[in-house]
Amino acid sequence: MSPTLRTIAWLGTALALAAIPPLCGPYYTNLFLTFAIFSVFSVSLNLLLGYTGLFSFGHAMFFGTGAYATALALKHVSGLPLLAAFGVGVLAAALLALALTPIVVRVSGTAFAMLHLAFSQMMYVLALKLYGITGGEDGIGNFPIPPLTIPGVGAVPMKGEPANFYYFAITLLAASLWLMWFFTRTPLGQVQLAIRENARRTDYLGFKVQQTKAVIYVFAAANAGLAGSLYGLFHNLVSADGALGALVSFAPIINIMIGGIGSFLGPVLGTAIFQLIEELASRYTEHVELVVGLLLVVVIMYAPMGVLGVAKQLRQKWRRESTPAGALQKSP
Amino acid sequence: MDPMTAMYVAQGLHGLAYGMILFLIASGLNVIFGMMGVLNLAHASFFMLSAYLGYQVAALTGNFWLALAFAPLGSALVGVAMERFLLRRVHAFGHMGELILTVGVASIVLAAVKSVWGTESLQLKMPAILSGRVSLAGLDYPVYRLFIIGLALAILGVMTLLLYKTRLGKIVRAAVSDAGMVNALGINIPLVFMLVFGVGVWMAGVAGVAIAPILTVFPGLADQVGMDAFIVVVTGGFGSLAGAFVVSLIFGLLSSYGVQFMSQLAPVLIVAFMAIVLAIRPHGLFGARES
Amino acid sequence: MNILETKALAHDFGGLQVLCGVDLQIAQGERHAIIGPNGAGKTTLFNVITGTYRPSAGKVYFKGRDVTGLPPHRLSRLGVGRSFQITSTFGRLTAFQNIRLAVLARRGIRFNLLRAIDAMDDVTSETDAVLARINLGAERDRAANALSYGKHRALEISLALASDQELVLLDEFAAGMSRDETHDAVELIRRLTEGRTVVLIEHDMDAVFSLADRITVLHRGQILATGTPAEIRADASVKEAYLGEMEF
Repeated sequence: MSPTLRTIAWLGTALALAAIPPLCGPYYTNLFLTFAIFSVFSVSLNLLLGYTGLFSFGHAMFFGTGAYATALALKHVSGLPLLAAFGVGVLAAALLALALTPIVVRVSGTAFAMLHLAFSQMMYVLALKLYGITGGEDGIGNFPIPPLTIPGVGAVPMKGEPANFYYFAITLLAASLWLMWFFTRTPLGQVQLAIRENARRTDYLGFKVQQTKAVIYVFAAANAGLAGSLYGLFHNLVSADGALGALVSFAPIINIMIGGIGSFLGPVLGTAIFQLIEELASRYTEHVELVVGLLLVVVIMYAPMGVLGVAKQLRQKWRRESTPAGALQKSP
Repeated sequence: MDPMTAMYVAQGLHGLAYGMILFLIASGLNVIFGMMGVLNLAHASFFMLSAYLGYQVAALTGNFWLALAFAPLGSALVGVAMERFLLRRVHAFGHMGELILTVGVASIVLAAVKSVWGTESLQLKMPAILSGRVSLAGLDYPVYRLFIIGLALAILGVMTLLLYKTRLGKIVRAAVSDAGMVNALGINIPLVFMLVFGVGVWMAGVAGVAIAPILTVFPGLADQVGMDAFIVVVTGGFGSLAGAFVVSLIFGLLSSYGVQFMSQLAPVLIVAFMAIVLAIRPHGLFGARES
Repeated sequence: MNILETKALAHDFGGLQVLCGVDLQIAQGERHAIIGPNGAGKTTLFNVITGTYRPSAGKVYFKGRDVTGLPPHRLSRLGVGRSFQITSTFGRLTAFQNIRLAVLARRGIRFNLLRAIDAMDDVTSETDAVLARINLGAERDRAANALSYGKHRALEISLALASDQELVLLDEFAAGMSRDETHDAVELIRRLTEGRTVVLIEHDMDAVFSLADRITVLHRGQILATGTPAEIRADASVKEAYLGEMEF
């Protein structure tokens, strides 16, 4: 794509994003924002899953940490600026990841997946039980959301102003997405792929596999925390089920599988599709789980590379290029 | 015995009973993973399905024993069907594919169960003979829980015998160690897999019917007990039956004493135990490193 | 100084003695082949030197330093590289990406998060240069797994050789290769190992005799003979060892 075309595309996207609140009204704006939050969350998981081959079944840990940290900060620290509270959320998620790296970089495969499921389940239980801190099942609700102070512009109110909050959140989410995109384009991004393909060889070549994994892990966690923090602010409510439940860990996996594990934007597409399906399913049937379950089974059996993967295969077949071993091979 | 000791012993027996149930479920999960490398997250769903089927059989016939005999078989059949038609296809994609598939199946089972039986708690009555109490050195203890312990030990005994004293058992043990090699020796490995899978799910099914009179039959059963069983497997170490046994018992006891003495924090105790074990030994207490 | 030395190296697998009293001496800069009939212990020797196994007895010295039992990645950092008999590349990445990783490793670029890799022209051109030298220029954007066997092996060897390690150990590089492919691989190795020390285990005698400066013959876990290709060719005990293994 030529640079001019690219700039036009960027501007177009930015304009489209900016146009959503006035054009679509509050209901659809909120829907879109939910989509955006979970897209970023899913992409952050894919940094681990698709790019590095680390299968986490408990990514909700970081999402939830971000949400709770921000909510707690706003609840207990009066006068805390909005951006600072947000920063606390991101930082908390990153620190949690950092604390876990000594254990996490030593395992891979199923052990990694299960470890994460276990830890995230533990956090869920803790959140439910430590009523005094987390509000238990009810969670932390209706905490103060201060206006955003933009130097030169003044204080922009957030609470009760969906449009304002949308612009605030979407900017941060877009920044996060861009950062993650750039991450995959750096030399470290290449080492990431190498670890996924052949960790031993990567080690023999002289790369520090464990340290690299640690960096990727903390980065992915920070972005998940970012999404979580915004989610909490968005709903003005943070609860164990909403931020730490098993579903919160499974949803990004589903999004990634549907959209396509092998590409950066796959999870974004998957989030859109899945959210659509969930909306439709919940309107027409009570058995949402059935739909979700069937979807998962069908996708993994017949289209494990997701929609984008299928599209790529079709394109290649159409171009009659020989397909490099594109089919999903035995995962590391 | 004096009331204090009686209470401790009673709680201990409760814990033992629950631990045995956990082990029946966890051992299937463990062996399946050890042999096939498959982590079956739908395992607890079959446990639950069997409880529901058991309820249905009992509702139709009024007989608990028929339920115990047939429900686990029905559930095992569904499990084997899943293995044969779904899981096998996905095996080539590695662990991730299997995990996702079984999560999907678990969702489907949950939806099916809810739509057929609704979301209310259902009662499966224990048989009259087992519903009394027996006197143990002055302690009045419910017979049924002793039955559970006995049943579980009996099954384990039979399984151990089968595994170590029969030719089939030898094949299975070899397959756990090196399926490829056994396959190369001309043994029909897919058949062995199916058999082991079926037996594993059957054991979980038996546990389902056995515990149903105590826990009642409801859609959250899979999540509740399943999570405990899963924690057992993870903490005990994949591929280690001894580990699963030890941890099942510890969990059963922790769970029951925890509920008695620190009821709010009992679940926290359990996950804390798991977290500590995993922090020190990420592959579980007795787990072997994944090759 | 000998870049690699083993002293009284011995290894057994629970009672089965596979190596016994092996005193190997590899001079700096030479190309040294280790050959021997099947079961002679070549692979075990290789695995002990590269740190895959810890020897039952004896020592391994690299540049005068005792490296016995050091795990492979430590050895790698000290300057000992190796290839694998079973091709071990980054399967789903392209040939270009594979080589680029080796180039990045060689340049010490491991944690760079600040630049887009596609913008690093010097890395790109070096990678393309290496690809050209190993005749994989045309397959630049093909996944490693999609390459023909010979080209895939060439990639494998290049990964071992692209880093700047002083000592490179090649484990049956010609395994499964056709005559032409072997010939190309020999040329490749010669070009990429100028000034470096190479130790190779090999069955293919043509490859051995065209590459090696010196040859060590292993037989039943012990060194039978060491010498130049000409000396070895003329050695009666070597012939006997090989012929003696053949069954009629």
